[in-house]
Amino acid sequence: MTRTPGGWDVDGPIRAEVFVVWLNGDRLELTGPCGAAPWILELGATDHPVEVVDRTVRDVVGEPRLVHSTSWRRDRDAVILSFVVVIDGELVGSMESQPIGRRELARSGATAAPREIATEQVVEHGLRHMAWLAQDDPVVRAELPVPWRDALAGYTPEPFRSLG
Amino acid sequence: MGRKTLLVRCACGWETTGNEDEVVAATQEHGRRIHNMLPTRDEVLAMVVRDDPAATATEGTKP
Repeated sequence: MTRTPGGWDVDGPIRAEVFVVWLNGDRLELTGPCGAAPWILELGATDHPVEVVDRTVRDVVGEPRLVHSTSWRRDRDAVILSFVVVIDGELVGSMESQPIGRRELARSGATAAPREIATEQVVEHGLRHMAWLAQDDPVVRAELPVPWRDALAGYTPEPFRSLG
Repeated sequence: MGRKTLLVRCACGWETTGNEDEVVAATQEHGRRIHNMLPTRDEVLAMVVRDDPAATATEGTKP
């Protein structure tokens, strides 16, 4: 889940970081045109981040089931907005895909951001966010079939699970 | 334009080889379509990571 150092990289002070997630059997996997590596988009001053992510995913991958902003952070001299994009399995095609492992979250201080945030921690946070939305948001819940909600159940804090 | 084979590699893993016109066109298309950006010709050429005079100009683009 890494990007190749050196060479050309996305520039600009605001960027979107897209994690394309699909359900392979009962296992959540990361894919996309960059494989399991974060898919970075430049965001212009007049761009709406969600519209850019949605349009680009539709153009490159196909129609997403969900596009959701899950976190932001400052990194690589930019503000990076992270998105989880849920797609159906038939859109994966020849794109590389890797199972998603679990990580501890990067915890903030009371008034300060975490000192370091690994990509895997951003994904973990994004999936916990989606798990919460699958419980709390009727739109998200309606877009996620039961196998998806089952896969996300492991990302739901224990006290919340019984509420589903 | 130049007949040297150039290599441009994106941080996402995509790379392209070809002559100057080919790598500029391929990189601009990759940037526009995949990353919502449009680098200028000079910006693309500044990203060249290898000049390979031994390679042919027909290696193409991958993945």
